[in-house]
Amino acid sequence: MLAYLLRRTLYGLVTVLGVLLFLFVLFFLYATPEDVARRALGEKAPPEVIQRWLVNHGYDKPRFWNAERPLDTMLVEHFRRMLTFDFGRSDADDVPIKKRLGEGVLPSLALTVPLFAMGLLISMALSLLVAFFRETYIDRTGVILCVLAMSVSILIYILGGQYLIGKLLRWFPISGFDASPAVITRFLALPWLVGLLNGVGSDVRFYRTVFVEETSRDYVRTARAKGAGDARIMVHHVLRNALIPILTNVVVAIPFLFTGSILLESFFGIPGLGSITVDAINANDFATLRVMVYIGALLFIAGQILTDVAYTLVDPRVRLE
Amino acid sequence: MTRCALLAAGVGLALLASACTNDPYPEQDSGRRIFYTTFGEPPKTLDPQVAYSTSDHLVLSNAYETLLEYHFLKRPYTLIPGLAREVPEPRRLPDGRVAYRFRLLEGVRYHDDPSFGLAGAGRTTREMRADDVVFGIQRIADAAVNSPVIGNFEKIVGLRAFSRRLDELRSDAAFAAQRIDAQYTAAGGVEGLRILGPHEFEVVLEESYPQILYWFAMPFTSPVPWEAVAWYDGEGGRHHFAEVAVGTGPFRLVRYDKRSRIVMERNPAWYGIEHPEWKAPGATYPREGEPQDREAGRLDPAYVGRPLPFLERIEFRLEKESIPAFTKFLQGYYDASGIIKESFDRVIREDALSPEMAALGMQLERSVTPGVYYLGFNMTDPVVGTPAGERGRKLRQAMSLAVDAREFLRIFLNGRGIPAHSPLPPGLFGHDPDYENPWRSLELARARELLAQAGYARGLDPDTGQPLRLTFDTADTSAAGRLRYQFFVDAWKRIGIDVEIAATNYNQFREKVRNGSYQLFMWGWIADYPDPENFLFLLWSPMGQTASGGPNTANFSDPDYDALFLQMKNRVNDARRLEIIRVMQGILERERPWIELFHPEDYALYHAWVRNVKPMGLPVPTLKYRDVDPERRAELREAWNRPVRWPAYALGAMALGLFLPAVRTFLRERQ
Repeated sequence: MLAYLLRRTLYGLVTVLGVLLFLFVLFFLYATPEDVARRALGEKAPPEVIQRWLVNHGYDKPRFWNAERPLDTMLVEHFRRMLTFDFGRSDADDVPIKKRLGEGVLPSLALTVPLFAMGLLISMALSLLVAFFRETYIDRTGVILCVLAMSVSILIYILGGQYLIGKLLRWFPISGFDASPAVITRFLALPWLVGLLNGVGSDVRFYRTVFVEETSRDYVRTARAKGAGDARIMVHHVLRNALIPILTNVVVAIPFLFTGSILLESFFGIPGLGSITVDAINANDFATLRVMVYIGALLFIAGQILTDVAYTLVDPRVRLE
Repeated sequence: MTRCALLAAGVGLALLASACTNDPYPEQDSGRRIFYTTFGEPPKTLDPQVAYSTSDHLVLSNAYETLLEYHFLKRPYTLIPGLAREVPEPRRLPDGRVAYRFRLLEGVRYHDDPSFGLAGAGRTTREMRADDVVFGIQRIADAAVNSPVIGNFEKIVGLRAFSRRLDELRSDAAFAAQRIDAQYTAAGGVEGLRILGPHEFEVVLEESYPQILYWFAMPFTSPVPWEAVAWYDGEGGRHHFAEVAVGTGPFRLVRYDKRSRIVMERNPAWYGIEHPEWKAPGATYPREGEPQDREAGRLDPAYVGRPLPFLERIEFRLEKESIPAFTKFLQGYYDASGIIKESFDRVIREDALSPEMAALGMQLERSVTPGVYYLGFNMTDPVVGTPAGERGRKLRQAMSLAVDAREFLRIFLNGRGIPAHSPLPPGLFGHDPDYENPWRSLELARARELLAQAGYARGLDPDTGQPLRLTFDTADTSAAGRLRYQFFVDAWKRIGIDVEIAATNYNQFREKVRNGSYQLFMWGWIADYPDPENFLFLLWSPMGQTASGGPNTANFSDPDYDALFLQMKNRVNDARRLEIIRVMQGILERERPWIELFHPEDYALYHAWVRNVKPMGLPVPTLKYRDVDPERRAELREAWNRPVRWPAYALGAMALGLFLPAVRTFLRERQ
């Protein structure tokens, strides 16, 4: 298993390096260092100030190749910084990127962890319910509602939620964020609700399929013949055996809880890591953008490896070789 | 398990129920004199010598003070003393140089800050001195600070030399390791900044430059304590100097989450509060203004002559999206707002507040921003520019006659702007409200005639026999942008010219501008200070965008204009200056490097509980004059934001109605 994990990690590393190279090439096809400087300093900045900014930020070096000093290029510096986790400062406002990540991770977790937990609980409970009442009007109504929920874009949920719940019904603030314990739930209630509505439909459909498949297995008939109650069968037997496919679905999402939700954070004004990415794109902030992409790639690899490990934990028949 | 689930559900519901209000603020703040406002973009820096954007100044100009300020009510803009005792007069020295002597207020202290421990154990503040102002200006010259305005201060004798010396000395690691103030002293200081006493100093300029006084009304010249710069170096868990504000201002920064919330509180140690008997002009509500200020309640006896500030706290909240921000304003959670395009017709009717908004007690304030938007020709282009000679000039004149700025304003900006006839906006010396540019009225017949004289009869290019084809470059790729530029394309189509919109991303657009490979574009400029020099330099040839990266994006170059500009820029506002401006205006009128479009007009809304509002146009601090009535605000907020609960009950009932029959059937079958 260790050899397998090592191999996966190495493959992952190659992927990450590829992502970093791709990002560098793509970004500088689109922008020049002078553009990055002008965005940071404003339209009125004189040329000498722009030139000095370029030197201070290491953007005065050749991009790909330096015949005199081959290691003194922007590309080499880009890889060196990422691989040593020396993230440096934001191009937009010179704030240390590590500090910005530290500030952003808590708002992101405050949004995503409860949303993830609530989503999991509610989806499982609803899917157990519709699986239990399968082939009844409850099941059919569930299918209609789930398909409806899946078909609507998250943007509609966000704008509709802000208009209906924030503006017309006045239940929660339309947007914003304040980490004070007295008010934080007010700001997160609407994004949670929107996130739940957006995710619950597909999850319920998926879990229902898994549960329905499990309920038709022999061990369920045996349990029933032995006199086990419906609730006990669903919770103790069906739920436990359905965990493998559910776990793969869930574990892969865990690392991304740290990176937040780009859309929810941007529209609701939550200063998490998701909105940092959007701000970096808008501000031509290459230094921050590459860190966010790098972290995203690392977490994706971590998610894949975690899923593999989780398989072996819930199903002893699975071996990683 | 069931009990745990029930407990979790109970806790969740309780949390949700407690969250069921749209009030974004804690209850304990409801009766306080807090001003709630927004910022659309986080400040880039709070370093007064570097900050240049409106969002930077929004925050730091409340914490750092300037030696001079603008009078809150008087227009045209009038300088008054701030930290200085008086507005200094220029003094011509025997060697032709010009000196300004500043005498500062005594007993002004900085905000409490741990950095002052560097000056003595246990110290948390100290008095502001003349050497702090000099230190601030030396920072502008320091290449490591990278101040964007170093070029504007180079008339100070010895500033450039100081900058070079400092750079050279810093190559020695031992020198660079010294404390920042010691480095400046060891570099010999700036010759033209003479400290005459603890509260007096002199600025000596190489030549006359009356605009220097405006720079002393901007945070670039704010006094800065060396202790704060030395202490906040970003090391050992300390902030960077760009993230703190250690000034002398009426408000101090108490929270700086620039991605969500910035909070400033009244500085109890401010000289205006500690010494109201000084009646310092920058710390007292003005006694005089314009005639309309009295009618608008801005000279209310309850405020006139009273010491500032009136607010306890300022809350800035980040609002990137305009619609949620405006909705929260209408709910009473922000005290002030601009008017978003989507709601303009609801808010404004016939150039005044709509009855609906008037019934809510809203106040509308309109002000012309000292800025100008224009369509520009690239004057180095062989077809539309100077190389085309008389033909090009006539083409530009014809195109200018085809664009109706008033119609553009009506369609795209809800009429928020004044059609421009010259680069100079209203309120500036040199602006003539009666002046009508002969090429800025819509006259299609005359335009066609000029086109024919230029050799493009009916807009046809004689070389191809097809309509003359030009390119309009823009960095705005949005659908709204395309519509806006299509307006100009359609205008020119009416005289037979075929203009194609080349919308690229910002970076590609900048690349084209840098290379000079563009023909037509739209651009804007907002003043740094209210002086005609700050507009007319936009067409001065040394500022050419393609040649030197300057703000002359039209690359306009005219020797007469350049010579007149040099005569005009260093003069005081006298009759001769006005005369020169008129001649320069005449050159622009004839040559048409720009098609002047409009001077933008700001419409700002304030709730009934906000007092003492007068838009400045320039990004200068006015919050120390402002006040709110918290009781009235709490009352109206309560009335406007009662939650509508019945849909929640209806949803619950529907869910029960859906499940109960199924549960009943299940139970019956089991029995």
